[in-house]
Amino acid sequence: MKNFDYLEPTTVNEACALLKQHGGDAKVYAGGAYLGIVMKQGLLEPKALVNIKKIDALKGIRFDAKEGLIIGALVTHRELETSALAREKFPVLCEAEKEVANIRVRHVATVGGNLASGEPLTDLAQIFMALDGKVKIASPAGERVLSLDDFFVDYYQTSLAEDEILTQVVLPSLPARSGIDYVRFSSSSVVDKPSVGVCARVTLDGEVCKAVRIVLGCVGATPIRARKGEELLVGKKLDTNWIEQAARSAAEECKPISDIRGSERYKRAVVRALTKRAVTAAYERALRS
Amino acid sequence: MKKSISLRVNDQERNLEVEPRTTLLEAVRDQLGLTGAKLGCDIQVCGACTLLLDGKPVSACSVLAVDAEGCSITSIEGLSQGDTLHPIQQAFMEFGALQCGYCTSGFILTAKALFDENPKPSEQEIREYLAGNFCRCGCYQEIMQALKNVRREG
Repeated sequence: MKNFDYLEPTTVNEACALLKQHGGDAKVYAGGAYLGIVMKQGLLEPKALVNIKKIDALKGIRFDAKEGLIIGALVTHRELETSALAREKFPVLCEAEKEVANIRVRHVATVGGNLASGEPLTDLAQIFMALDGKVKIASPAGERVLSLDDFFVDYYQTSLAEDEILTQVVLPSLPARSGIDYVRFSSSSVVDKPSVGVCARVTLDGEVCKAVRIVLGCVGATPIRARKGEELLVGKKLDTNWIEQAARSAAEECKPISDIRGSERYKRAVVRALTKRAVTAAYERALRS
Repeated sequence: MKKSISLRVNDQERNLEVEPRTTLLEAVRDQLGLTGAKLGCDIQVCGACTLLLDGKPVSACSVLAVDAEGCSITSIEGLSQGDTLHPIQQAFMEFGALQCGYCTSGFILTAKALFDENPKPSEQEIREYLAGNFCRCGCYQEIMQALKNVRREG
């Protein structure tokens, strides 16, 4: 690892000012789980690291009746996994976190870092998207709010500018009669990253599907909404036939690459199977809610 | 430029001079001579480099030493009380839960963190917590036996 300056601001403004001052030569450091790897491999050689861990405003999970569940950028995966508040509001997050990487990574890696890295092989992004989640972003010019759909740009690329910091994830409360489920498949126990992760959310009006999100993870440069599959289900009374058709559509809408986690064809088959399971489970939860 | 940091390592205050790029593993092994934690995969997958940072297991290969400033570190060297082994160490010996020993300190420290958090874990909870530590000799059955035995005694 090449050497670098190490900076520890205590406010968001100070951190943004430091990033601006260094142009693209500084990187934000939170848990270091991602940066540690890419810097050792020489893929990134920042001249400065801006450690944001001393900024209290970025910590903690809280609930706001208007906005929803607010997750600070510095919340670690383990904090989210074990948070009673997160479990009360969105148990799907805690269940998913149990399978993220390993216990050591979960103790240091942060929710903000996970999103800001733009890593395509991840879990939280597709769940946040299915929940219509937003991110708050601070810069020297002020704050902006972006939907997760607009946040991810390409492999390891987000819409964060050089002097911007992701400060919070905001998850609005689910409408009544909603159910959500996340199903993840990992092809190998050696590498902890998922090969496919599908999140489905169903909102009902009586027995008819009023709204649905099908978000496919790890099978494209960013998480992908299976919009054609979603359209098939809206306005319908869901049954196995419609769900199967939506799953088939999702398998066509994703853009997987062949790698050690499976060939393209294999991953499409997994997307189809997982979409079926996730939509079915989300639907059953919505019926019971 | 080097930075001065202080760490509380195995209940002793230690002051070190490190470069920002120095990892916690390098600082603990090279500067403090505590070589129980091993460099394995170097990408936070295998668990050989595990240390407890404020009681929580972390991959010391990827934590910056400067980021651990002021924290409490536990390494395998800090577990025994004089000649008396920690119950987890004792169980690993009794059940032969190791061959080459390269992964052992990581397994034992991770297990310690688990038992500190949850004194009576189920077999499933042990498996989930330890899932990120790899034993290339394949001693998983013996490790499970040892840990189930600690659970009964604890």
